[in-house]
Amino acid sequence: MGGCINIAGIDIGSRSIEFVIMDAETLQVTERLRRETSIDLAAQLRELKENYRWNGITSTGYGRFLSQKVLGGEAATEIKAYATAAHHYHRDIETVIDLGGQDTKVLSLDRRSGQLLKFEMNDKCSAGTGKFFEMMAATLGLSLDELVAAAQRGSRSFEINSTCTVFAESEVISLLTSGRSVEDIARAVHESLLVKLVSLLSRIITTETRSVLFVGGGAKNGTLVQFLADALSREVVVPEYPDFFGAYGAALVAKKSLIQA
Amino acid sequence: MGNLTPLFNDEFTDLPLKRALAQVLKKRDAGAKVVGAYCSYAPVELIWAMGGVPAVLCAFSNAAIPKAEETLPANLCPLIKSSYGFIELKTCPFFEVTDAVVGETTCDGKKKMFELIAEKRPLHVLDLPQCPTNEGAAAYWRHSINGFKTFLEKSFDTSISEAALEQAIQETNRKNRLVEQILGFGAHRPAVITWQEMYDVTSYAMVTGGSEAIEKLQEILAILTERREKKMFTSPEGTKRVLLTGCPVGGDVLKVLKLVDEEGAAIVGLDSCTGLKAYAGRIEEKSGDPLLAIAQRYLQIPCACMTPNLRRMEVLKEQVDLLKPDLVIDLVLQACHTYNVEAVKVESLVRNELGTNYLKIVTDFSSQDVGQLKTRIGAALEMC
Repeated sequence: MGGCINIAGIDIGSRSIEFVIMDAETLQVTERLRRETSIDLAAQLRELKENYRWNGITSTGYGRFLSQKVLGGEAATEIKAYATAAHHYHRDIETVIDLGGQDTKVLSLDRRSGQLLKFEMNDKCSAGTGKFFEMMAATLGLSLDELVAAAQRGSRSFEINSTCTVFAESEVISLLTSGRSVEDIARAVHESLLVKLVSLLSRIITTETRSVLFVGGGAKNGTLVQFLADALSREVVVPEYPDFFGAYGAALVAKKSLIQA
Repeated sequence: MGNLTPLFNDEFTDLPLKRALAQVLKKRDAGAKVVGAYCSYAPVELIWAMGGVPAVLCAFSNAAIPKAEETLPANLCPLIKSSYGFIELKTCPFFEVTDAVVGETTCDGKKKMFELIAEKRPLHVLDLPQCPTNEGAAAYWRHSINGFKTFLEKSFDTSISEAALEQAIQETNRKNRLVEQILGFGAHRPAVITWQEMYDVTSYAMVTGGSEAIEKLQEILAILTERREKKMFTSPEGTKRVLLTGCPVGGDVLKVLKLVDEEGAAIVGLDSCTGLKAYAGRIEEKSGDPLLAIAQRYLQIPCACMTPNLRRMEVLKEQVDLLKPDLVIDLVLQACHTYNVEAVKVESLVRNELGTNYLKIVTDFSSQDVGQLKTRIGAALEMC
């Protein structure tokens, strides 16, 4: 590692952990790790601590407090992490949507200062989140990738009306038994989630909003990204590693603290 | 902070409702009738005037909700479910000692719940007009309050004189002025009073009348004045300040207030029925028509059940001017449609006119959303 100063960011979500190390000067990413969140999170964190070195670290996501305890450094909400990363990497965009494993967030930023102006989150319900996709894929007997591919082939011929993931599951089963194609159902699953994303975004975007930054694991779903762009009639920008965006933001928060110290 | 003189030096530290219960029981043991109430609109001056004592029956515990959901729909206000569940379980210590209950038509869930408990206690439901600025509203509300007076007189074979009402009015005014002064200490920067202490004061004052209340509140005022003069703060300088508005809070929904503490901020104002709302107004004294004077004051309570609820916006503006919060948290209890919809106007006022950060929270008495609330509150405070 030599004399260079490293900053680390870790985003502990309900489904997965993302961890990055950057050079504090150049902000070049030197490590990028992704793990499923296990039951023994503390053991996972201790392992990271043993194997990697950093000068400053910030934890974000639901596990941020445990992570802060094990890894040291500070904790920031994922909202702050996303806002920080968005302002750093996409300074021209003022609207961010994050589709995570168990929640969905929409942020509005001041383009010049990067200051968070407003945010909205889904209610305490998994209907508008990544978990919804996982459950629907399982119900259809598909992997997530297969669900996404099927939706591309499907046509928009009916809606899934249930707003609850559990009820949507039974709705999907009844659609299957009534002879609807898996492709059309996969499409309807996407449309159903899309309605919730658009509804959440509509609380933030204005007529002046030209583009929306889409981050979180959900942004890896190319079909959804395309549907969202169509529904919003706006450009939807997805960063290279959308699921690492929170971890990048956390590392940038750590850099700020390092400078202040 | 640890060596501050407590506002209440008794065995009820951190147990404001137990203290309130002890106050009710003390009066009851001395022969007072206990009249349970569910709302700030219950004109307690009538209860005081007949020598009785009011008891607040609104419950805030998740524990009683499963029992309530055996009968009531799950998608109902948790306060109504909790209050009803306790009655069914016969474990609400306040309800168990009531001799009569007064309800009001503030919200649909409550007024239908009253029908279900009508057999359990002598019950009177006050018909509250909900367009407070319409012509005739105060006169009609006076009429409703007079019906409550007749109910009390018949139930307890007593008569409530105008002189006794006038005395109760004057005592309320003195008490309210003192509570308002105490809550006004939230304006100090850094804070010299915690939200727990504010809640202690409002819970105590609700069930304590006459000279006992006045003396205790004056003592509290002296303690706070001393704190201010000696610069004894309850939170460090630079602590972010939060004003809580919206639905009443207590018990399990204090999770929201505790999360604000955990995030290192300080709640400096409670703009709800468990805070300032019940104490904000004055009743006209020596008006010659005490019932009308009472009616006029209660109609000014800015509950979201009123339309238009202009007074809420005025009070909020006054509170933001006084307390200078960094963030206003608008707390809505699940299925409280009026507060939930009114949040649109509150957000617009707070953000656009008052230039203050705003966070709306819709929650219930369960702990299922604590993780998410922590993120929301944390992020909202990071914004400040």
